[in-house]
Amino acid sequence: MSESELIKKAQSGDKKSLAELVKKYENTVYNFAFKICRDPEKAENTMQETFLSMVKSLKQFDGKSKLSTWLYRIVMNHCLMELRKKKYKFVSLDDDENENTAETVIPDWSSLPSDIVENIELRKILDKAISKLTPDYRAVFILRDVNGLSTEETGKITGLSVPAVKSRLHRARSFLRNELSRTLEK
Amino acid sequence: MKIEKINCNDVMDHICESLGEELDSQRCVEIKKHLNDCPNCQKYFTSVEKTIEFYKKYNIKMTEECHKRLMKKLGLED
Repeated sequence: MSESELIKKAQSGDKKSLAELVKKYENTVYNFAFKICRDPEKAENTMQETFLSMVKSLKQFDGKSKLSTWLYRIVMNHCLMELRKKKYKFVSLDDDENENTAETVIPDWSSLPSDIVENIELRKILDKAISKLTPDYRAVFILRDVNGLSTEETGKITGLSVPAVKSRLHRARSFLRNELSRTLEK
Repeated sequence: MKIEKINCNDVMDHICESLGEELDSQRCVEIKKHLNDCPNCQKYFTSVEKTIEFYKKYNIKMTEECHKRLMKKLGLED
């Protein structure tokens, strides 16, 4: 059965179709929530809230955007609310202060195996670096680079214009690269 | 048309835009040319690619218990 058929059936109260939709997107929603809030417990809570919102408002879903875009947006809003409550101190990338300062000699990362990401210490470093980014920069980086969404779709989810997505992506990539560089090259 | 000379600093500032983006502007063509001839910038480019790769590969697996709690919360238990 196609996704639009599943949605129609779920909208008319078919629980089996609703369960199918939840199963189809639970991993995507859980991982996106985790990547934004960097905490498994918060990710589970966000996922539950996201699907509760979906169930509540599914009848209003008009199919003009993808269901995944709609779900990503709910996750985003929920995480933003949570992060605002905590009043974390983020690094501001909106000015040029964090632009690259030219490094005279760039170390060679090509020999770093990508499976070192299984290493707990590296995971801590990755969490720490991305947690410094404000949620909008974090979301742009995750949606665009990690989840492979288009610039336009990323803009729809985050409420940012295409040029704003591009500039945030550029700055987020540089910032994360520089943060990792400082730790990995010690 | 005036062709801009690209130096390492320009590449540092703009190279990231080239990852996953369309590259047909004159500036991007110049950046590519520079990149081919500059080992330092190639290393920088690789380090940005590796950064993205690390975050891509960092996934967590949703447990069966977590799935069950979700379905229960939604009243959709199997």
